[in-house]
Amino acid sequence: MRKAINLMVYFGATSVFSSVIFGLLLAENEGTAGSTLDIHKYIGIAAAALSIALIYFVRKAQSHPSAIKIYRSLLVITAVDVGFAGHYGASLTHGESFLTETLPFQTDEEAPESITINLASFQNELSSEQEVQLVTNVRSVFAHNCYKCHSGAKIEGDLRLDEKEFIFAGGESGPIFEAGNPDNSDLIRRISLSKNHKDVMPSKGKLLTKEEIQLLTIWVEKGAPWPEKADNFSVYRVAELAPRKPNLPPVKSGLENPIDRLVNQYFEKNSIEWTELVDDRTFLRRAYLDIVGLIPSPSDLEEFETDPDPNKRSLWVERLLNQTDDYSQHWLTFWNDALRNDYTGTGYITGGRFAITDWIYTSLRYNKPYDLFVKELLSPTDKSKGFIEGIRWRGTVNASQRTEMQAAQNVGQVILGLNLKCASCHDSFISDWKLEESYAFANIFADSTLEISRCEKPTGKMAQTKILWEDLGEIDSLATKAEKLQQLADQLVQPKNGRLSRTIVNRIWKQMMGRGIVEPVDEMDNEPWSQDLLDWLASDFTENGYDIKRLIKQIATSKIYQSQSIPVPSSDFLLAEDYQFEGMVRRRMTAEQFSDAVSLLAAPLFDSIEVKFKPYELIPEATQNREFTRASLVANNEFLKALGRPTREIVSTSRDSQASLLQALELSNGDKLNSALQKGAVTWIETYPDSEKLTRELFAKAVLREPNSKEMELAMKTFGEKPAAPEVQDFLWALFLSPEFQMIY
Amino acid sequence: MNYLKSRRDFIKKTSAAAMATMGMGAPLAGLLSSCESKMKTTADSVILLFMAGGMAHTETFDPKRHTPFRKGMEAKEILSTFPSIPTKLDGIQFSEGLENIASVMDKGTLIRSYQAADLGHILHTRHQYHFHTCYEPPQSVVVPHLGSWIAKEKGALNPVIPPFINIGQRFTVGEGEELKAFHTAGFLGSEYGPFMIPDPTSGLDSVRPPVGMDTKRFESRNQLYKDLIAAGPMGEFGSDYQKESLKRSMEQAYILLNSPEAKAFDLSQEPKESYDKYNTGKFGLGCLLAKRLVNQGARYITVTTEYEPFMGWDTHDNGHTRLKDMKKLIDAPIAQLIKDLDESGKLDRTIVLVASEFSRDMLTEGRPDLKVKDQVQVPDIVEDLKNFGMHRHFTDGCSMLMFGGGIKRGHVFGKTADERPCKTIENPIKIDGIHQTIYHALGIASDLNYEIEQRPFYTTPDGHGKVETGLLT
Repeated sequence: MRKAINLMVYFGATSVFSSVIFGLLLAENEGTAGSTLDIHKYIGIAAAALSIALIYFVRKAQSHPSAIKIYRSLLVITAVDVGFAGHYGASLTHGESFLTETLPFQTDEEAPESITINLASFQNELSSEQEVQLVTNVRSVFAHNCYKCHSGAKIEGDLRLDEKEFIFAGGESGPIFEAGNPDNSDLIRRISLSKNHKDVMPSKGKLLTKEEIQLLTIWVEKGAPWPEKADNFSVYRVAELAPRKPNLPPVKSGLENPIDRLVNQYFEKNSIEWTELVDDRTFLRRAYLDIVGLIPSPSDLEEFETDPDPNKRSLWVERLLNQTDDYSQHWLTFWNDALRNDYTGTGYITGGRFAITDWIYTSLRYNKPYDLFVKELLSPTDKSKGFIEGIRWRGTVNASQRTEMQAAQNVGQVILGLNLKCASCHDSFISDWKLEESYAFANIFADSTLEISRCEKPTGKMAQTKILWEDLGEIDSLATKAEKLQQLADQLVQPKNGRLSRTIVNRIWKQMMGRGIVEPVDEMDNEPWSQDLLDWLASDFTENGYDIKRLIKQIATSKIYQSQSIPVPSSDFLLAEDYQFEGMVRRRMTAEQFSDAVSLLAAPLFDSIEVKFKPYELIPEATQNREFTRASLVANNEFLKALGRPTREIVSTSRDSQASLLQALELSNGDKLNSALQKGAVTWIETYPDSEKLTRELFAKAVLREPNSKEMELAMKTFGEKPAAPEVQDFLWALFLSPEFQMIY
Repeated sequence: MNYLKSRRDFIKKTSAAAMATMGMGAPLAGLLSSCESKMKTTADSVILLFMAGGMAHTETFDPKRHTPFRKGMEAKEILSTFPSIPTKLDGIQFSEGLENIASVMDKGTLIRSYQAADLGHILHTRHQYHFHTCYEPPQSVVVPHLGSWIAKEKGALNPVIPPFINIGQRFTVGEGEELKAFHTAGFLGSEYGPFMIPDPTSGLDSVRPPVGMDTKRFESRNQLYKDLIAAGPMGEFGSDYQKESLKRSMEQAYILLNSPEAKAFDLSQEPKESYDKYNTGKFGLGCLLAKRLVNQGARYITVTTEYEPFMGWDTHDNGHTRLKDMKKLIDAPIAQLIKDLDESGKLDRTIVLVASEFSRDMLTEGRPDLKVKDQVQVPDIVEDLKNFGMHRHFTDGCSMLMFGGGIKRGHVFGKTADERPCKTIENPIKIDGIHQTIYHALGIASDLNYEIEQRPFYTTPDGHGKVETGLLT
């Protein structure tokens, strides 16, 4: 007996040792990680060490009986240790709850990751409604996990999973399931395999969750039902097209603005507290930057602060909106980005692109109603045709980038907030849009009927002529291009197209508040953080003459706009799926806002050669009241590019405001900023020969406040009694590059 | 409403892309990418020596029968306007004027079968866009340059040397806007864009304190910046991502501008003897700068013979005469760069690629079986020396050289026909194969992709580029 035990100890010890070695190799190869693994690893290594000690003592015990006690206690410890190692190991392969999950009192409270459906409800006989529900969920699993390789876009292994017919037909190795028999279904077998198995599906990316596998298994088990009406349901979220005007919550004191009433409702529902209103200085700086793109002067601030009118914030918003040329030159940048309009760029040299700056500027200056604005873009005059004409390159281009398709994509993106890029080449795997629908839409912009190409291969099929939504009406396919465009323009701006207004109010909201109600702003099918607010703003916009300035005023006079700003804790905060709105988020100035502030406070950054657009040459009554050229009027250059101005080769509706090394280099030693500061420093010391006076003025103009004692001390240390140009230049640089100067807060 | 949650999950899984649109940090790698960390790498750095404007293969690295100029000769009989010279490789000849490069061909691979894309009526910058990004313009998103992909995936080798450096190209030339369209990191984020050094002799200007500012002042300016932020009230606002990243990037720039490694950018530090060997002009000095930077840990560098319409390699006339000058410009410095890198041992881990967007021919515009609109009148009978040369754009057979970083030594890959049309007849290779082979050597997975506007965007279109193992040891 003892002999057998000893033999077992030897055997056990050796296998523990080898298990540890293989375990370490496995961890290395599989790339698993986490605290469970670490615990398993260390307990395992301890077991190996204990085993070696055991062998030592079992041998020793044979000659020294006194060692037998140590041997026995070691044996117990080792056994316990191996037990724990085993448990944690099992947790790794079977999941943390492998012991508890089968217990009768264990409830599955946590909603499964991607399926909110109650699997249990499918266990019994299914009603036809439940069948539809089941299939919709199955399709959703396919769409989100399998379409990338198994749909019209890409057909690997001859298998498509995007339509009933294909799913039932199977792939190159035959059917993928046997209805009613999951055990004999390749589909179920392969999705259930472990990550490293050569047959596992999806072969790339994340494996399906346990619930997703269960769902597919149940579906096959139930005989793979697929009622006809199942195809009517989308597996993607699709926003309502029709406008909707929710009832406003009752007025509470201080919350008269409809925006605030809706925000308050959202806050109450989500237990979010209002923050305090910001002071006059913060408000004025914010409103200036957001409405006219400039920083206010100290005298503006003084006038504002001493204005006794209780309604002054609203009046000053109005006043800024009425500074028409300042306003237009600020918003010109936004529209140039969105409509990919620029003064220089690809395409112009070969006459393949048309600028629409005159038209944009005039539209802004006279606050053209947005419905008319869209109409003129879609059914254009010579002045506004550049947007739908696109960029025509010399040579041949991909079918998915022909100018008609560019127009479809860009109108879709900018005007309607949807992405047709995927569906320009093949049926989309990110939405319900089909290739034929994209072509039908693109065909509206075509002189002669387009032939549909799928993934760059002509199909021989001719495109139809249709707007993306039947509800909006029909386009006469036999009409001329001009007639078709007229019909498109008329139909897209019908009030019943709620999407038009939702898309633009969301964009303006983002410009003012730093984040859209829906994000990304070009994906209007995504879920808004407040459907009521979005819908109300859009309906109100439509009902009040599509008036952009009115919308801006409505936002700028809301209490929420005037509340404390919210810091952005991390780069992915704004797009987090559980984003909660708490107020305006802090932003960095755009390239144009920063440049204009520097031009104003130091010396003009841009000289006359760089100016590409002169509003006062276009519009006689336009005022040229600034002593510098606004950055929105100059050709793109390395300085502006480094600060995030896009090249406008494609539509751009959000700026890249990321700080980067290349940008910091441009700001640290670039010639543009350096020479403006050099010139500016000279002006400053000529105007203010006294160090203290200069410091006070500089802080007043740049950050609208007094320097604090530490800042004053620092300035005095830098300047000495009489300021000299180099020191002032460096001080300007340090102040302009400080976060306080560059942030809109 | 059951799909709602799945939709959200889908967004979480696939739309990191949107981050690029939000301008908040770079997009995340697509979930379809496989893990590359275990891949064996053969290269750390890449130098692309770009012959912008279309370098005729028959006049450089793939000469055909020599047909010297004589008044009244037929245009169609002209194959190579230069005699051939031997190279270090048995039976392999180059065109006269490339003796130095010929002498280092035992160190690399000669590719004679590159086929450029068919993009219709030819515009150099569209082909260059395609060459550098692997995608045909236009695209519906802003596509990153090869150098940006490498900068993003591999990062800087030395933290103070920008990971993507572009030497020798100004954007003030004709088609400058079209050049800008592909000198960009696109959706990867401006962090990975090119660090431009238009003139190699003033490379130092880009990495030193502003003109007129000495080191001491530069240092105290930086100190002032930090002190001022510390003294200001912004601290009360708590942590903010934008604020912190701004401060961090300024600090990084300061370190770079004040670092001893910045001396690598200063060509005046190079011993005169070595400087003279490279100094054939702007391109030659660009090669010298590339050598110095790679020695200090640069990741990716392009040195280009500057592209300017109808200049440089873009010979719409006087092809023969002008090519003499072009060869003089490139021959010595390219060979010297290979020798220097080989001697220092750097060549083992550095890929050097010599390439052009396409080739040229006397008669064929485009591809023999897919000709496109001619841009140059070619007389049937050549009376004047100015008509003697390769004046049309040819896409079906171009030469490239590849050295180092796991590329075979003393090897020839592919072949073109000896008679017109001198097109590829063996081992054709396209741009996605070239890009993928470079990525492979660097250890970047062939299916690497990012989710851009919810669609996977791969390093090569659809991730289809194949590694050309025939080029690798």
